[in-house]
Amino acid sequence: MDGYLITLWILRLLFLAMLYGFLFVVGRVLIRDLRAASRGPAEPGRLVVVASPRGEPQVGVSYPLDAITTLGRDLASGIVMDDPYASALHAVLTYRNRTWYIEDKASTNGTWVNGVAAAGPVELGFGDEVRVGEVVFRLDRGRS
Amino acid sequence: MTAAAIRFQPRLRPRPRSTELGLLVIASLTLLMGAISLGATERYLAASPKGVTLGALGFGPADPFGIGLYVGALFAVHAILVLAGRRLDQVLLPAAGLLGGIGLLLMQRLPQDLVSQQLGGLVLGLGRLQLLWLLVALTVITVLAVGVRGDRWLRSYKYTWAAVGIALLLLTFVFGSDTGGARLALTVGPFSGQPSELLKVILVVFLAGYLSENRSLLAEESLRLGPLRFPPLPYLAPMGAMWAIALGIVIVQRDLGAALLFFAVFLALLYTATGRASYVGWGIVLFLAGSWALYNLFPHVRIRVDNWIDPFRDPSGAGFQAVQALYAFGRGGILGVGLGNGLPTIGGHMPVPAVHTDYPLAALGEELGLVGLLAILGLYLVVVQRGLRIAASLHDDFRALLAAGLALVIGIQACIITAGNLKLIPLTGITLPFVSYGGSSLLANAIAVGLLLALSDRGPQPPPPPRRRLRLVRLGRRRGATA
Repeated sequence: MDGYLITLWILRLLFLAMLYGFLFVVGRVLIRDLRAASRGPAEPGRLVVVASPRGEPQVGVSYPLDAITTLGRDLASGIVMDDPYASALHAVLTYRNRTWYIEDKASTNGTWVNGVAAAGPVELGFGDEVRVGEVVFRLDRGRS
Repeated sequence: MTAAAIRFQPRLRPRPRSTELGLLVIASLTLLMGAISLGATERYLAASPKGVTLGALGFGPADPFGIGLYVGALFAVHAILVLAGRRLDQVLLPAAGLLGGIGLLLMQRLPQDLVSQQLGGLVLGLGRLQLLWLLVALTVITVLAVGVRGDRWLRSYKYTWAAVGIALLLLTFVFGSDTGGARLALTVGPFSGQPSELLKVILVVFLAGYLSENRSLLAEESLRLGPLRFPPLPYLAPMGAMWAIALGIVIVQRDLGAALLFFAVFLALLYTATGRASYVGWGIVLFLAGSWALYNLFPHVRIRVDNWIDPFRDPSGAGFQAVQALYAFGRGGILGVGLGNGLPTIGGHMPVPAVHTDYPLAALGEELGLVGLLAILGLYLVVVQRGLRIAASLHDDFRALLAAGLALVIGIQACIITAGNLKLIPLTGITLPFVSYGGSSLLANAIAVGLLLALSDRGPQPPPPPRRRLRLVRLGRRRGATA
């Protein structure tokens, strides 16, 4: 058989092999990426301060959340709010079945989700805005 | 005083993207190897009847200018992304770029007079036009990846975008021209495009906005009819509207592919947003009911389905393309006959007339074989995986749904056309993303990849929190200590 044709045949196979070489390298990158993501701290979510007329807490500050986090003026709260419009135990954030809920704890001025008063436990999506007292928080996905 | 104005914005410095560089090097070497194998095959086929010594033919790549320019453009995009310094995904560009390059090789290899367009004094053939559109697509990707920062222009104007989409549909219906029995193309001046390609991106933007806003309401089940449970009635309306629009596209535009794609993307996103498999179940029931009605009412649908059930009933007429494509896959076998070595023409005409738009997989299957096709499908899988991974790491629902939708729209489209070409489902005329010839298709997919890249921005590395007061105290203390 002619040498040229054999070389051509090898070139064709080499092209196919290189396609798989690319996929192999990409696969390794993807697996490394997934490993790094799964090693990260398991944090179900974060509350980020979006608006705070009194400047305390500062806008942009973000709080990592536990599965149950209380908000209020009480110093034992998960997130302590130094806000005259907040109640001692104002609201509770809970994480159940991979979903966040917020429940207003009969506060004086209420808890507001995207501008609507929350009555009973309300499901929260990531990106939703919650107002407690005068402070507006946004619920974000946890950092990985 | 908005939050965005206050947020700390550090200056961006060039940031090396070594993973992307490495992958791009492999991708361009692969493309170069493809071009060399194509060039050698073409010269061999031209020389073999004349009895020229084969050793004198050499191993130069086919159309070195075209493939060189494309590879150069890929590296230029990489350089711009490095200079921009954003922490963007590093796998999407090489994967999409390799798919685009395979498409370019295919277009260079098909008869160049399949499509030709006059630009000034220049007459551009199929390969050159595809190259031109690929360069435009890479530009779009770069501009979106570097330029898009906020998402307010997408999030806040979702109904405006929906209106634009419906306007595009209506415009195509009124002013569009018919191609192959379907009213798809809209011609403005010298340009003609397929709005349904752009429409798929607009649809994803609208659905992401709508679903992220009404997610919790949709997941609720307040309405009960006997054993059936439904979400509150007003929120069922968009589902009905989507179904009606999909049916409308089939009836009015005769575009089965777009209708199937839109409905599938809608169901996929609905499931992503609500996590309710029952919605997908009802969607499929609605889809089957609609399909059955359309099959009985409209002859153009019936032709497609009959062709799918038995293309050999009329192998030289209605079933011609499907039969030829099946033969092409058969000729390819496992390893393929090699780039450029397939049967482009029999007796002067193409066996598969729409090979560059609807049937690129038939040509690739013949020349690269089963092994090559699986690699190409693997590349689509990579694109989809990256999109879903980006979606999973995003912080709010709108962005996450947008990223998932953009990735799924590419993946589902690839699945539909692959299944159609392989005769698993009736053929629907949509393009193979990044590979098929066509400006609108390349542009729409470039917008999707560009937005995905922009969404994948992990932000500047978290800066130390700006606590001026604390630092002043500490400095004062230190001064006090040293004094």
